[in-house]
Amino acid sequence: METFDSLMLGFSVALRPDVLWYAFLGCVVGTLVGMLPGIGPLAGISILLPLTFGLDATKAIVMLAGIYYGSQYGGSTTSILLRIPGEAASVMTCIDGNAMAKKGRAGAALCIAAVGSFIAGTFGVVVLTLVAPPLASFALRFGPPEFTALLVLGLIFLAYMSTSSLPRTLLMAAFGLLLGTIGIDTMSGHFRFSFDLPELGDGIGIVPVAVGLFGLGEILATPSHQVTSEIPHPKLRELWPSRQEWRESAMPIARGSVLGFLIGIIPGSAHIISSFMSYALEKRVSKHPEEFGHGAVAGVAGPESANNAASTGAFVPMLALGIPTGPVTAVLIAALLIHGVPPGPTLVSDHPKVFWGFVASMYVGNLMLLALNLPLVGLFVNLLRVPYAYLYPLIIMFCVIGVYEVNHSIVDVWIMLIMGVVGYGLKKFGLDPAPLVLGLVISPLFEMSLRQSLLMSNGTWTIFFERPIAATLLAICLGLLALAALSHIRRRKDWRGRLAEAEAGDGH
Amino acid sequence: MIRVDHVAGGAFVLLGIVVFAISGDLPFGTMSAPGAGMMPKLMAGLMMAFALVLIAGAGSSPALASIDWSDRTHAALVVAATAAATALYRPLGFLITMSLLIFSLLVVVERRNLVRAAAYSIGLTVFAYWLFGIALKSPLERGLLWF
Repeated sequence: METFDSLMLGFSVALRPDVLWYAFLGCVVGTLVGMLPGIGPLAGISILLPLTFGLDATKAIVMLAGIYYGSQYGGSTTSILLRIPGEAASVMTCIDGNAMAKKGRAGAALCIAAVGSFIAGTFGVVVLTLVAPPLASFALRFGPPEFTALLVLGLIFLAYMSTSSLPRTLLMAAFGLLLGTIGIDTMSGHFRFSFDLPELGDGIGIVPVAVGLFGLGEILATPSHQVTSEIPHPKLRELWPSRQEWRESAMPIARGSVLGFLIGIIPGSAHIISSFMSYALEKRVSKHPEEFGHGAVAGVAGPESANNAASTGAFVPMLALGIPTGPVTAVLIAALLIHGVPPGPTLVSDHPKVFWGFVASMYVGNLMLLALNLPLVGLFVNLLRVPYAYLYPLIIMFCVIGVYEVNHSIVDVWIMLIMGVVGYGLKKFGLDPAPLVLGLVISPLFEMSLRQSLLMSNGTWTIFFERPIAATLLAICLGLLALAALSHIRRRKDWRGRLAEAEAGDGH
Repeated sequence: MIRVDHVAGGAFVLLGIVVFAISGDLPFGTMSAPGAGMMPKLMAGLMMAFALVLIAGAGSSPALASIDWSDRTHAALVVAATAAATALYRPLGFLITMSLLIFSLLVVVERRNLVRAAAYSIGLTVFAYWLFGIALKSPLERGLLWF
């Protein structure tokens, strides 16, 4: 009953015309960001973050989160029509979605993807409503050792779930953690690696790093002649799937919703992994696995539902624990912090209007996205017809404005440019920049928790094993490391290897 | 044969050595009173350790020569144009710098028609100025020419 009353409070906030407007804006921008190749949700959120500075925390987070889950809807359009994933989570939709389009069922595939996304997104919000507040209450028992162990678990989990190898992911995470130490040490006042630049006193910002790695870095690696602009144009009357197609999509949507949400709450690029696992599951349970790759409805319905449910699931640890599960939630945490609202166990009690307003806005946002993505698909498709050669200069301009406006610092723009080059280099050498961003974000919290834990225990490392919650979390870390080692010894190609292959095959 | 992971791992080992070299004045402290240098040195050490693991397993990675650098001219030109725009942003202001940035990308990198490129870059920059500077009241750089 208490949850219901709180949710009603949330709806009283989310249904205010001004909040509705920002939710709508976020959904539209998210759909566009998801559709356009070369600009993912992370770059989109980072670039638009400065525009939220004049807003209150609720409107800001409602708009930015709208971009995130909106991009999951939008990504399917480019995948189905062009066989290019607008964003990484839509890789699996390319396979059967585009095969359906070639059979003249593009409209039906788009409709199934949108309806599946809506059902999964709404399911995710319902579970988030029920799970996040009790989890936050539990997290109030956490002290510095528990937070240290939790952050270590997050990094290990990320490395375990990642499609690249464990040392590669941990290498990038360590690099991110190292970058996060730049600036004034808050405990001793020492300047670290700031090279007499006052702008580096506060450290390297997440926005220039994220925009550089994921926005500019992607543009550097994508010459315009590699991007096609020949696109089919589905008509509104072709959008409705047949009765058979509805039947075939019902169970994959249900399974994708549950699977996606569960994977979403685990650190890592959950929305990407969830779509692959859902595809693998659907193929395994299907009576006609031979249809997969040739336009199977379940191959669209399952992954699209899973990636939407996962993007909602990722909000659970972010809101309840203040822990990012990936780079997108890391930027959202930074956005809340900029607005003076620290996410974590006290968010529900200290800022109920922000928390419940945000949760309620997601119910509304999912409805908006369904309304946007079906009737207006033709309108959005027109944007894909703008030649990429004209589009990427515009994105670079937004990158520069977005980064500069955060602190009015030209040093930040230089950092973005350097990170763009770094991102380009990492891509060439097959290193994933996502753990770097995650490491950068958690670095201050990790260092503070670690040093406070050591101070509490008078320098004894056993404090992490004497406290039950911390010990359990570290035991899970060890279990995951053992599993990863076992998989390496057996040299068995598991689902991560197959995901890497699928990404490599369809990502271009 | 030199592999991709040899170079990637080597670069991070080198970076770790540089970090140790420039963080000499940061105190590591003790376990009971960790200093400002503890976290950077721990992370640099970890980074080097993982980089060495990468080098050790580099045999299974692709050959260095297999990396496709066909986009390098595009990348270098975009970086040069963005670097010039970053350097000129404060002195020249938003309108002039961004128009020049978009124009140069379209003409130099993409070899587009001069008149169309000029119209597109000016039109887009003016629209962005209206959107960010006027509608959203975000203070954009005016520069020496007061634009």
